[in-house]
Amino acid sequence: MIFVIAEHKETKLKPITSELLVFAQRLSRDFGQPITAVMLGSNTAALAGELKTKKIDRVLTAEHEELTDYNPDRYVEILKAIIEKETPFLVLIGHTTQGMDFAPRLAVALRRPLIAGCVEYEKEGDRLVLTRQIFNAKLNMKTALRGEPPYFATALPGAFAADEIESGGNADVISFPVVLKGAARRKILERVEAQKGKADLSSAPIIVSGGRGLKEKQNFSLIFELAEAIGGSVGASRPVVDSEWLPREYQIGSSGQTVSPKLYLAIGISGAIQHLVGMQGSRCIVAINKDAEAPIFKVAHYGIVDDLFKVVPALTKIFKDLKRA
Amino acid sequence: MKIISCVKPVPDPASRLVINEEKTWIKDQDLTFVASEADNYALEEALRLKEKHGGEVVVVSMGGEQAARVLRSGLAMGADRAIHLFDPKFKGSDEFATATTLAKAIEKDGGADLILAGVQSDDLGTGMTGTMTAEFLGYAHATVVVGVEANPDAKSLRVRRELEGGIIEMVELPMPATLTIQFGINQPRYASLKGIMAAKKKEFKIWSAADLGLADNATGKAGAMYEVKQVLIPERKSKVEIITGSPEEAAATLVEKLRKEAKVL
Repeated sequence: MIFVIAEHKETKLKPITSELLVFAQRLSRDFGQPITAVMLGSNTAALAGELKTKKIDRVLTAEHEELTDYNPDRYVEILKAIIEKETPFLVLIGHTTQGMDFAPRLAVALRRPLIAGCVEYEKEGDRLVLTRQIFNAKLNMKTALRGEPPYFATALPGAFAADEIESGGNADVISFPVVLKGAARRKILERVEAQKGKADLSSAPIIVSGGRGLKEKQNFSLIFELAEAIGGSVGASRPVVDSEWLPREYQIGSSGQTVSPKLYLAIGISGAIQHLVGMQGSRCIVAINKDAEAPIFKVAHYGIVDDLFKVVPALTKIFKDLKRA
Repeated sequence: MKIISCVKPVPDPASRLVINEEKTWIKDQDLTFVASEADNYALEEALRLKEKHGGEVVVVSMGGEQAARVLRSGLAMGADRAIHLFDPKFKGSDEFATATTLAKAIEKDGGADLILAGVQSDDLGTGMTGTMTAEFLGYAHATVVVGVEANPDAKSLRVRRELEGGIIEMVELPMPATLTIQFGINQPRYASLKGIMAAKKKEFKIWSAADLGLADNATGKAGAMYEVKQVLIPERKSKVEIITGSPEEAAATLVEKLRKEAKVL
């Protein structure tokens, strides 16, 4: 049995849930294991109804009013009970801020292996070999799990294509009785949207985005000049914002804005997966980076492998000349 | 407040990474090692909490001379003392074995009110070890933390977590607690010359697997939950068109292609 821990927010399944189901459906074909989607919440009927139409074998729900908001203490407590009873072969969890929050505790509570941040897998004989990215996606590492199942794996958002999901199922929905012990350690006080500010990039047709390759704050003027010449908006990768070269509202990626302009220029951005998930839906992606191995070239349509400090001023000049003409 | 700050030595981010002959890791003999970037934010946060609430900051690291080096720079930044987990038996630890070892060391040191670690390391980058340590110790925890405040009762914390899509979640945790600190929570300080001089006089303990009472199969490669089959350069699936020529020529060709081929301008 392969478990997929469904992630949801309010009344919607999150995209990672479909990605995990795609991962599970492929594994299911290769390893002959049935799939159970596991869903924790306070009112699971509607979403369980949506899950059961996917090509899976079972939906297992655990309902309790304390599960309205995600809480790691409760997730570990309930999932541990379910897994001890059902002993699945593999438990798939999203490598999201939620999955990263409870998966390590759950694996340690059960003293079982966890491979975090998986992007692919292979079947080696009867063994499952999981691939993940290391050194900020510069290298991959293939790992084999030790000991007996259940095994745990988290999948990187964006690694499995959600649109490959197979539907046409009519899975049984069964509910797991929830008995909670004591009080949860973590109390959720509130969730608020961080200030959006002026830089709403969601509808920008052209985005010129700069990264760590710009080396210093004052060099970011190159990005602003090019953006002005081309008539686009400015964006940035996480390190730029962390170094306080630009305010947080410019950040593109999993913890910032998700954008899909017709043209996205990634300048001096190496392309960590957290950045890629925020921009890979762009129609045309251009990468300018002196490191030919940078992962950004994996998603780019056009690339220039050269010194951005030479290429960007040349580009700006062309657009300025075009404007004048 | 006693705060443990976990620091992992990783190759300097500017290093050229070469895969070793066994294809199980990188050739790391000749590389310069520094503290993993997120761990610097965690240490800075630990120092700020101590400045506000009193107590002590203990830096802990596991590894060889590289770990000793990041511990010395932690002391120079302002940590009060250091614990170096040093033993050939620790070599080859995965996240699980590292967390086992860290938890034993923290227990031996009398526990802590707060354990801080970076949200993820620059090498394995999975963000698991800190939270695994919390489970081994039975501490509360929170991940991807962008703000920490101690409550007036000095027994609990208010913590801000950064979720996807710019959502901030405020949670309350009892102490002891383990937090994984997100990049950008603060601006880490540099060590002053005075700090570097003072660091030389600070307590620096070295503990082995035997000191921690760890069985041979509980740490290092023997205590790992998975086996590294192969480290490799990722395949490039993309059909990126690389534009060559001098910077001026490449820029001109690119503009031409964006206008006529991609038709996005």
